[in-house]
Amino acid sequence: MPEYSEVSINNLSKSFDGTEVLRDVSLDVSRGEVVSILGSSGSGKSTLLRCINWLEVPDRGEIRINGERIGVREDSSKPMTRRELAKVRTQLGMVFQGFNLWPHLSVLKNVTEALICVQGLKKEEARERGMEFLQKVGMAEKADTYPCTLSGGQKQRVAIARALAMQPKVMLFDEPTSALDPELVGEVLSVMRDLSQEGYTMIIVTHEMDFARNVSDQVVFLDKGIIIEKSAPDVFFNNPGSERVRRFLELDKAS
Amino acid sequence: MDSSAWGLLLQGAWTTAWISAVSIALGVVLGLIIALIRLARLPFIHQLLGTYISMARATPLVTLVLFIFLSGPTFGINLDRNVAAIMALTLNTTAFNAEIWRSAFNNFSNDQREAAMAVGMTPWTYFRRIMLPQTVITSLPNLVNEMSFLVKGSPAIAVIGIVDLTRVTNRISAVTYDPLPPILAAALLYMAIIGFLVWGQRIAERKANRLAM
Amino acid sequence: MSNWEILWSSRDVFWQGFGNTVTIFVISAIAAFLLGSLLVFMMEGARPRLKKPLRIFIDGMRMLPFLILAYLFYYGLPSLEIRLSAWQAGVSALILYHGAYFAEILRGSRVTLSSGQEEAATALGFSRPSMFIRIILPQLVLRTRGVMGNQLIILLKDTAFLVIITVRELTAAANSLSSTYFIPMEAFIVVIGFYWAISLMLEQSIRLLGRLGEKRGFSNA
Repeated sequence: MPEYSEVSINNLSKSFDGTEVLRDVSLDVSRGEVVSILGSSGSGKSTLLRCINWLEVPDRGEIRINGERIGVREDSSKPMTRRELAKVRTQLGMVFQGFNLWPHLSVLKNVTEALICVQGLKKEEARERGMEFLQKVGMAEKADTYPCTLSGGQKQRVAIARALAMQPKVMLFDEPTSALDPELVGEVLSVMRDLSQEGYTMIIVTHEMDFARNVSDQVVFLDKGIIIEKSAPDVFFNNPGSERVRRFLELDKAS
Repeated sequence: MDSSAWGLLLQGAWTTAWISAVSIALGVVLGLIIALIRLARLPFIHQLLGTYISMARATPLVTLVLFIFLSGPTFGINLDRNVAAIMALTLNTTAFNAEIWRSAFNNFSNDQREAAMAVGMTPWTYFRRIMLPQTVITSLPNLVNEMSFLVKGSPAIAVIGIVDLTRVTNRISAVTYDPLPPILAAALLYMAIIGFLVWGQRIAERKANRLAM
Repeated sequence: MSNWEILWSSRDVFWQGFGNTVTIFVISAIAAFLLGSLLVFMMEGARPRLKKPLRIFIDGMRMLPFLILAYLFYYGLPSLEIRLSAWQAGVSALILYHGAYFAEILRGSRVTLSSGQEEAATALGFSRPSMFIRIILPQLVLRTRGVMGNQLIILLKDTAFLVIITVRELTAAANSLSSTYFIPMEAFIVVIGFYWAISLMLEQSIRLLGRLGEKRGFSNA
């Protein structure tokens, strides 16, 4: 059983072309917690998530995974080399809005490629573990097919298996269902719900309100780069403190 | 390199240039004619031309030049070197051009043809005034690209003793015992010629893109 | 003896020339592809200072006739105390020249490859070389197979230029036979047939590669 660890984000700031996208954001995620990050477009939520595994480099602030700093060396404050980053990234799994499967590899190979190339597993071991996680997301039957033959929901489930197979400590989800047709959203959310019940630490950027309400331990609302509200789901959805959140929830109900 | 060496070099460049130019001109026109004939799909000729195109595109220029030059006497003709060279280059580039024209004809949208028919144009008028002018423009980038290839392949004619821009470097170094400078100078001259064609190709591409709807 | 009988009795000359051409072609093709891939990898941008010189090199090769490069290696290098045999000079020139062309072809496809796939690989902890070899390069090859096939045929034809710098390949065989026995037509027809046959085989291989690609969703190039 992998250890579920914590993510600690402190005073994160980031600008793109002069526009401040994240302003002094701080957030703590404890072991086994499921945190949903909500907000309107352009609020900076994807950027926040992508900073956690250093796909975006923040201008200021620090991020710690299980106490270990990512992106910058602890001792020298110099940026980490790609190799050092790769090492820390193996503790984080990421699922993208666009699935990002590799089309020239079979479903199973998509899952085992990193196991073999990054974690150095032997082919047989990788195959076994790959099949185990494909089974978990319900895609074991399609192991030898190619991504081009799959539906969006199926692709995303394979992408989840691919990230899980590395046995990360934290799973990051960047709008995992936004690119899916409505009928296909359910199968992906169902997998994610199961993961949350197994005790995975999950940080999810999403627009799926019902899911956020039912599955999260903490809901975070981001607006123009600042965290406006951070509370438990029933507080957030039934009795939010901020006006901005109220308006957001009303707009969502109307649509 | 002194001035006499440069003189020889420029002579070689001129040889390359005029033989290439003649072959290019013949090749573009003959390629068009062959592509047009193939459009008609006449039973035997279509396959024959198809075989010619396939073989000519697979045959190295050096081999073709030697073949033509050495086979002349068999037919009782003693071919002039330059004529043999032009024949070989033309046979080669015609095949590639035929494919370029064919591709342009195939990609030409049927909509315009239907509009022309609806208005009452004869197929010949449609071809002459609507299809051909546009096809010329869209083919231009690829045709100019093929011209670059011809110039890059032109040193093949050295194998039958023509003193082109490449072989002339042997002549020069036979006198100066210093092969490197003339080769480098020849390289620069080739780059100038081909650079000019590449520039022409970019202009052709701009024109072709303006046509794309 | 008819001309064709003369030809048949000297078939070992042909086979030697053919063998030499095929050897030169296979070695140069593989090495040029590896060089091209390496050049594209180096242009990826870890070291931006390399990008410009590599660009200049590739553009340079595309503006030169192949024979000039072969001349440079065979006739020019001795001035710098480097003496290559005709075979070595020829193969080196083929590798360098076509390596640049392969790099250009692969690079053209590289810039349109979706960056999301790279992000996924990065997030999983792939190193850059690993990511390039396992994820990026296979896709580039599948996508550019048509143009690469053409380039291979051009490489094959360029091997014939080496007769001019005295390499004993296939065209040289035809040349020597035709001058020894005065049978130019027959000798060259056979040799042209050989080149044609190799071309057709290359085109067929590319078609097979195409089927592999279609299975994975890479539509016709």
